[in-house]
Amino acid sequence: MDTTTIDTADLARLNESDKAELRTFIEMENQRTKHQRMAHGMTDICWKKCFSSATIRSGSLDGGEATCLANCVDRFYDLRLLTLKHLQNSRTQ
Amino acid sequence: MDSASVKQAIIRQVQTESNVANSRELFEAFNEHCFEKCVPKPGSSLSSGESSCVTMCMDKYLAAWNKVNASLLQRMQQENKAAGN
Repeated sequence: MDTTTIDTADLARLNESDKAELRTFIEMENQRTKHQRMAHGMTDICWKKCFSSATIRSGSLDGGEATCLANCVDRFYDLRLLTLKHLQNSRTQ
Repeated sequence: MDSASVKQAIIRQVQTESNVANSRELFEAFNEHCFEKCVPKPGSSLSSGESSCVTMCMDKYLAAWNKVNASLLQRMQQENKAAGN
């Protein structure tokens, strides 16, 4: 693993355009991390929904399992939007 | 180090940390879900049937993760497009 350590003296060497580029990079990384965290949470939930009764017979997904996962993600997303809307409504009342 | 190499070092370090965190998350999920699936009644040792179940279960979980990731990305893009119009 890369063990380069960056100290404050190194940071002071960054010019403005590299700083701006880093800000954009960090912003994108934050987005990616947020998305990945959500994907981990949803895989956890949808694994339980789609594979709860099945015995594992192969290391790949069959058509039915793939469809179940895709539906699970979409319906969970619907639910998120619905709860969000409901919470917003009850707050304004 | 000049500005460009400091920048590169920071980018590399952030990416490494992010990859490690992602792998750790998957590792924990493999253990939890595949133990549940493949070792319903823990015996005095892991049987060969349980071991091969675990191997398949890990591959399947990873495939499921990729599928969920792709579906989620697609849905978010749809929502963004709908919100943008």
